Amino acid sequence: MKRLIASALAALCLCSTAYADTIKVGVIGPFSGPFALQGKNFKAGIDAWFALHGNKVGDDEIQVIYRDVPHADPAQSKALSQELVVKEGVQYLAGYYFTPDAMAATSLLEQANVPMVVMNAASSGIVIKSPYVVRTSFTLWQTASPIGKVVFDAGIKQAVSVVSDYAPGIDADSAFSTAFTEAGGEMLETVRMPLDTNDFSPIMQRIRDSGAQAVFAFLPSGPTALGFVKSFNDSGLKADGVKLFATGDLTQEPDLPALGDATLGMQTTFHYAVSHDSPENKAFVEAASKAIGDPKELSFPAVGAFDGMYVISKMIEATGGTQDAKKAVEAVKGLSWESPRGPVSIAPGTRHITQNIYLREVAKSAVGAYYNKEIQTFANQGDPGLAAIK
Amino acid sequence: MQTILSVAIDALAYGMILFLISIGLSVTMGLMRVVNLAHGAFAMIGGYFASYAMSALGLGYGLAIVLAVTATVIIALPLERFLYRRIYGAPELTQVLMTIGVTFCIIGITNYLFGPTLKTVPLPPDLAGSTDLGFRTISNHRLFAIACGLMVAAGLWLLFSRTGFGIKLRAVVDNAAMAASLGVRTQWVYAAAFAISVALAALGGVIGAELLPIEPYYALRYMVTFLVVVSVGGAGSIPGALLACLLLGAIETAGRYLAPEYGEFFFYLAVIAIVSIFPRGLLGRAN
Amino acid sequence: MTVLENEAETAHKQGAMRLVAAPMLLLTLAIAGYFLFPDNLALLTRIIAISLLVLSIDLVTGICGVATLGQAAMFGAGAYAAGIGAAHFGITDPLAMTVVGAFGGALAGLLSGLVMLRAHGLPQLVLSIAVVHLFHEAANKASRWTGGSDGLTGITPSPLLGLFDFDLWGRTAYIYGVFLLLLTFVALRVIVSSPFGMLCRGIGEDATRIEAMGGDVRGTMLKMFVIAGFVAGTGGALGAISTQVVGLDTLSFALSAEALVMLVLGGAGSLYGALTGTVTFMWLEDVISAANPFHWMTIVGALLIAAVLFAPRGLYGAVEELAARIWGRR
Repeated sequence: MKRLIASALAALCLCSTAYADTIKVGVIGPFSGPFALQGKNFKAGIDAWFALHGNKVGDDEIQVIYRDVPHADPAQSKALSQELVVKEGVQYLAGYYFTPDAMAATSLLEQANVPMVVMNAASSGIVIKSPYVVRTSFTLWQTASPIGKVVFDAGIKQAVSVVSDYAPGIDADSAFSTAFTEAGGEMLETVRMPLDTNDFSPIMQRIRDSGAQAVFAFLPSGPTALGFVKSFNDSGLKADGVKLFATGDLTQEPDLPALGDATLGMQTTFHYAVSHDSPENKAFVEAASKAIGDPKELSFPAVGAFDGMYVISKMIEATGGTQDAKKAVEAVKGLSWESPRGPVSIAPGTRHITQNIYLREVAKSAVGAYYNKEIQTFANQGDPGLAAIK
Repeated sequence: MQTILSVAIDALAYGMILFLISIGLSVTMGLMRVVNLAHGAFAMIGGYFASYAMSALGLGYGLAIVLAVTATVIIALPLERFLYRRIYGAPELTQVLMTIGVTFCIIGITNYLFGPTLKTVPLPPDLAGSTDLGFRTISNHRLFAIACGLMVAAGLWLLFSRTGFGIKLRAVVDNAAMAASLGVRTQWVYAAAFAISVALAALGGVIGAELLPIEPYYALRYMVTFLVVVSVGGAGSIPGALLACLLLGAIETAGRYLAPEYGEFFFYLAVIAIVSIFPRGLLGRAN
Repeated sequence: MTVLENEAETAHKQGAMRLVAAPMLLLTLAIAGYFLFPDNLALLTRIIAISLLVLSIDLVTGICGVATLGQAAMFGAGAYAAGIGAAHFGITDPLAMTVVGAFGGALAGLLSGLVMLRAHGLPQLVLSIAVVHLFHEAANKASRWTGGSDGLTGITPSPLLGLFDFDLWGRTAYIYGVFLLLLTFVALRVIVSSPFGMLCRGIGEDATRIEAMGGDVRGTMLKMFVIAGFVAGTGGALGAISTQVVGLDTLSFALSAEALVMLVLGGAGSLYGALTGTVTFMWLEDVISAANPFHWMTIVGALLIAAVLFAPRGLYGAVEELAARIWGRR
């Protein structure tokens, strides 16, 4: 009797593989805590993908399972990734907002036969940790390099960089300094400030003392970025004609209403602006706004997640729903498509996304809403950061 | 010289804002002996109310502050009655557990209601501008914060050392049973002191919002800052807290100016040095 | 034999029995965990690593009465010591990594003790916060050695005893973790019930009196800090071995605070309480945050409040009370 049931069960399993599979995708991100906004954007991007393209690839149905890692916590990230793989049986791991969280899970991929699609984590080195990592977001080297030339071309010969003192800040600083000096500019000083600085007035005093004509800044999106920009204005540096440049993290769309006029006219470089003018983006923004609830909360991680889902759908297509990480990753190498952010492709060598980087300026629309207005395009930028590590 | 003066002014302004936000905690921890880790949560609630009052109801800044303080106290009083009253006199660790729980709940609920984005409390034109001091400019808002801080310090000092309520409060803290037998209604005194500390938190949250923007995670993000400032000053001592805020504000500001990359080291080494020299906090009462 | 001696004798016998019974119970639970949750071994291993941290806080807070929000300094020091040893010096044998981690933790414990024992009460709590922040900043600054905020990678522990690989399912890591926890638990029970442990408890209750009796309060406490550091460092090393990445979060205030919450939830002062608290909190957190990754914080907060209202002496204290009531009425 027992054997009968067992064989019946086995037959049932076989049948179900023959017809249609549920393919599970495990997504790890900060869904609560101080970075909840970014996790919410992951989900919005993924939901937007389902809204526009359905949750089926061929006969296979995609099911997303979310797990929360509120702040950078590699041990937790690895434990949850492992649980997703062995308990939930996910075929794809995706998400990962913080670099260490992604790094921790890379050691599982080969044995688990699971590809990882990084939807945000932005240190260049992640892709070399495992051949099964594909990234659809950006690196700080990628977004911060183009602005070096922009600053120089604006007639500025001497600049200082002010960055938060942690890995992404240091990456941004190195990228900007390299590009700016290569263009012919002179770096007067590099200021690294603690990540949880609240009061920036002493930093502003330092900038004033240096006598630089321009400041390049990197701070993570959120309260500290807001404090920094406000302090820059209050200190009178802006009034004295010192120019502030940054990566788009500083002027991410959800922070703009709070920043108000303080950032008006500020130039940043980034891979995605919600205002990007293309039919793809229009459709994406509409779907993602619906998914997130409040359209004002829409930000860059959503597009990383949306494109991540595109890559995963292509992987499922290539493998026909069977679990084969190698084949899946092979299939998306060199893949190119029109993303909401513009034309993009996966570089076969690095498995990192090649994309346009845009110079944007904070502007005010006719109805009084602030947005990032794209004014210049740097086409097909790869990741200069990998060369820097090697 | 100008630079030193300029940094000193920044330090003063920063110290006063710290004082404004954390003084309420000094009242709960020092006078009521409750380690209230949810202090920041009340400051945040105040900030949200002010933000809402100004952007949705279109109230002025002053009115928004009054509304924020009142509304936060109204929310806090039931919490005092049903939760905090159970942990007066309980071991510190139990208080930590309870107030962390309260903080988690408030964070979760705020995130659900208002979403995870930053909220600001827009300043009226008078405060948004800046004043020329001759050698530099300073934003009017910071001057306003300095003035508020001084007023609060003076007001609290008067309240606690010169009024009947202050005498009752100190009596209840020192010996609740004795005070009760002398006819002091201890529960009312506690509730009133709690309301005062919450009101101060809300006030600090609103006025400090320029420096510490309002968002759901506010309560945990700045918890350490509040705890450090209050303890270094000596819990329960108003002049102590003021002194600690000015001193730590000065150290932090000078550190950030001189060697920003080692800013954290300066601050925490200074904390260790101060506490080593004054093991009860700067002006803490021997007990 | 006098009554007193008789009582002492039975107490001694009971103690001996409990000394054996407790690890047996733990072992049974661990084996049950292995077979009941074969797919959650990574989580269980993580719970074990954090248990060691919570036990370490219990030594300092529960036994010696020193509240701390900076114990992660010792945990992280252990994790980084083991990790740096493996990534930069080729010490990849898990046993050796554990030893390196434990001694790293002990050193951090010594440093923490030297700083923290300079004050009492609230200022002492603030010293612990300062210590953990300084450790955190130092690790962030020394990014050449620690990988900074990207985390320390390149840790590849060799097979345990040369035989058992650290695999995807985390079986080896789990079994090794259980072994470490049992060993630590037995050692701690011996230490806590030794005259030294009693002296520590005495200090926790009334340091002035112990001093008046001629006890060396500072020296004794410092020893306990080193032991606590050793235990926390072991936990950190276990984390480094099983995760193969060490992040700055191991040195964070947040981890210290969370671990303290677990201890108080379980019941400070008892080693069982520490374990109960850790397992309950982490298991609940995992279940609730998996069920609702977006709003689990509210529920956890509400549960903490409920715990204070209904089990003010901690969960283990509540269970003890219940047991006493049942057996007491027999």
